[in-house]
Amino acid sequence: TKWVSPKFPATELALHNFDTSYSKQLRGLWPSIRVAMLCEQKYGALINSFSSAPNVITELERFNRARTCCSSTQYKSQYQMSCFPKGDISRFKPARPDSSGILGYYLLDAASVLPVLALDVQPGRTVLDLCAAPGGKTLVLLQTHSVTNDLSGSRTMRLCRTLQSYLPKEFLDENKIHITSTDGRQLRMTEEKSFDRVLVDIPCTTDKHSAMVEENNVFKRSRTKERQKLPLLQTQLLLSGIQATRQGGNVVYSTCSLSQLQNECVVQQAISLAQQELGITVQVQDLRWFAQRFSDTFHFAPQLSVGELILPHLRANFGPIYMCKLQRMN
Amino acid sequence: CYTHQANPSHSGPVTHRPGNQLTLCSLLEMGFSETQAKEMHEGATKSRWKHVPSVLTALLLLGLNPSTILKIMQKCPEVYSLKGADLQQRIDHLRKMGLVEGSLQRMISHYPKVMLLPVKRVNMVPRLLREKCLFTIHQVTDILRDSPEVLEEDLAQLEFKFQYVYFRMGVRQPEMVKAKLFRLPLSELRCRHCFLERRGLYQTPDKKGQTLILNPPLKDVLCVSEETYLTQVAMATAEEFHVFRKLMAREQEEKGREDEYSSDE
Ligand SMILES: C[S@@+](CC[C@H](N)C(=O)[O-])C[C@H]1O[C@@H](n2cnc3c(N)ncnc32)[C@H](O)[C@@H]1O
Repeated sequence: TKWVSPKFPATELALHNFDTSYSKQLRGLWPSIRVAMLCEQKYGALINSFSSAPNVITELERFNRARTCCSSTQYKSQYQMSCFPKGDISRFKPARPDSSGILGYYLLDAASVLPVLALDVQPGRTVLDLCAAPGGKTLVLLQTHSVTNDLSGSRTMRLCRTLQSYLPKEFLDENKIHITSTDGRQLRMTEEKSFDRVLVDIPCTTDKHSAMVEENNVFKRSRTKERQKLPLLQTQLLLSGIQATRQGGNVVYSTCSLSQLQNECVVQQAISLAQQELGITVQVQDLRWFAQRFSDTFHFAPQLSVGELILPHLRANFGPIYMCKLQRMN
Repeated sequence: CYTHQANPSHSGPVTHRPGNQLTLCSLLEMGFSETQAKEMHEGATKSRWKHVPSVLTALLLLGLNPSTILKIMQKCPEVYSLKGADLQQRIDHLRKMGLVEGSLQRMISHYPKVMLLPVKRVNMVPRLLREKCLFTIHQVTDILRDSPEVLEEDLAQLEFKFQYVYFRMGVRQPEMVKAKLFRLPLSELRCRHCFLERRGLYQTPDKKGQTLILNPPLKDVLCVSEETYLTQVAMATAEEFHVFRKLMAREQEEKGREDEYSSDE
């Protein structure tokens, strides 16, 4: 059967929507972001420290021109990300499994490890990954005990498959990782105030996907209501994440959208609701140093009111990724 | 010329034998300077051209000056292996196609290769431009004058380029002529257009010919240096465009491969 293109493809609706809102929000920066979003995105290779394939990194970096852009030695966590320098459009080959079937690296938008990095996970800490599927960030988190949750059952299955391809069986059996599938807005009592670190990697308009791919596009006419309710859902999930955090613990909120409404506004809204309705004080943590340290690899937006935003750019076509780090004070 | 004639014992090039032999003397008489004559003569001897004098005569009759003629020899030495009569016939043919004095000279000096193309070939492109692309006779002449290279292009490719600009960019014939469209290879055309389109600065008009934004005129996109294009029209950096060009090349290459697969089925 032939696929008949609808009269208004969702990608076109998405672009139209972006043109209207982002040209106001981002002004002169918008054309460069737009062209990058409509071109092939760049990937980074997250080296799987559980893989026994020898010298994945050396192989990647010797035969390609890839460079390590974030690594464990610098950040006390066990992962290393490799990617090609600015302006280089080379691609990574698909990862090959080692003798026990574990893949050597995971290809993902390199910028998507930054929220995990911001979370500053250390061994011994408890972590909640509130919206985890398909599991890219979970893999980065996994050297600690963590609880991983996603509302969608089918997507949780995908998460399990990701973990099976990248983690040794023993690790999965040891119960180091808890996978649940519940609505992140309805935390159980036991989960309240019980995590050192909470990642709220939220459902959003996934701008790059929406501009390029027709399938599963949130800009379809039939999904208008769902899309309009996103900021509300996001605020609720972030609030829930804040509730799950221990005193002194951190929450990182992240999206892959450029939208102020889904980024800064949601964060600000959640901060004031937490205070007013739950009596929880949270403080925004400074991530400006990210922009300095990683400016070789990523293209950061000029200072926002809260949080950091990585802008897609042809020379460094990662993102959009927004992240904001909060600390619970009481 | 005196020195040579005063030395009749010298043989070879100095002997003035009118007809199909080229001598320094005859070159000087035609108006070449001493250095020009030497260069011309050297070229002719080295390549053993036979009909040089008649070719030269034809070119001079056209009103080209010696320095232009010398440049033609450097740019396209094959011209001098033509027979004078053949050359004359091709020039006459170009005239008949509507290239008037001035345009004709400009075309020949910028693109001497036109004199080597068989009459049949020279006819094919204008016919395609008129019949399939609906340019007027007048427009075709302008195209030939501004971009004679078009005569050598692959016909299918040429038609595709036209259709790309007509349908994808929504531009009509008179604007194409003004923009000297056919000077640019398709890949460059596509690069400049798609870059604008993806930046949100160019739209394909709908059925009524309307767009939500004002498209820049084709000549501002094509007829300017890359620098001007980037600063005035695309408002982008050269680094961005450089990466875009690489990405486009890969996109096209992969699309071509896909098309190949699907046509195999
Ligand atoms: C942006 S994705 C997460 C990507 C993931 N962190 C990664 O790095 O691979 C957002 C996820 O939130 C899930 N989700 C949507 N609504 C939810 C809810 N109410 N509670 C929990 N998860 C939800 C979706 O199923 C989706 O998988």
